[in-house]
Amino acid sequence: MANRTYEVMYIVDPETPVDKVGKLNEAVGQLIEKQGGTVVRMDDIGTRTLAYPIKKKTEGHYVLFEVDGTGQEIMELERRMRVNDMIMRYITVRIDEDRKKADKMRLKREKRASQRAKFRATEESAEPAPEAQA
Amino acid sequence: MVDNELENREREPFAGGGDEMFGDKAPRRYQRRRPRQVIPDYVDWRDIDFLRQFIPERGKIMPRRISGISAKDQRRVATAIKRARSMALLPYVWE
Repeated sequence: MANRTYEVMYIVDPETPVDKVGKLNEAVGQLIEKQGGTVVRMDDIGTRTLAYPIKKKTEGHYVLFEVDGTGQEIMELERRMRVNDMIMRYITVRIDEDRKKADKMRLKREKRASQRAKFRATEESAEPAPEAQA
Repeated sequence: MVDNELENREREPFAGGGDEMFGDKAPRRYQRRRPRQVIPDYVDWRDIDFLRQFIPERGKIMPRRISGISAKDQRRVATAIKRARSMALLPYVWE
């Protein structure tokens, strides 16, 4: 159960001071650790213009987390994000399954490519062999 | 008399074709494109530059008959675009 990977992204109000955003990120990391998850990656993307205004703001401070866990910490995190005024919007995406599928597809393709290479190699090596004998 | 005239007028355009059912509209035709885009194994919803390829000026998701990619890929691209939209990475509409 304990091996799920999530991507959590949230947009912080651009008017909050930078140190407060840092504190928020720290708090999020601590919350995840406390609930039994691990933070794989923390990425403070920074201020970016929004594609459309949210709450009359045209900019937003993006933060991305990659979390390994059971889903318990995501539940708690989402509950807190919902009530936090600083966070304008958030999204959680489960990515471990799609990644596994992608890896499988890559492996399949590589295997097929190697087999094709092997086939071609034997064909080529079979030809010059009689010449060498003759 | 009037009925007769009307009938004649209506019959004329149909003389050559068998598409009476659809009025005077010609059957829709479109060129199926081969996919120009290479779909990666993992479609990342944060990769905006990649997703932009599937969004014409209006901001709508390009239909499969035009994008020409497989149904599976189209589904993955569509969900990625929707996720990006909800996080204001991509717009819902462009004017």
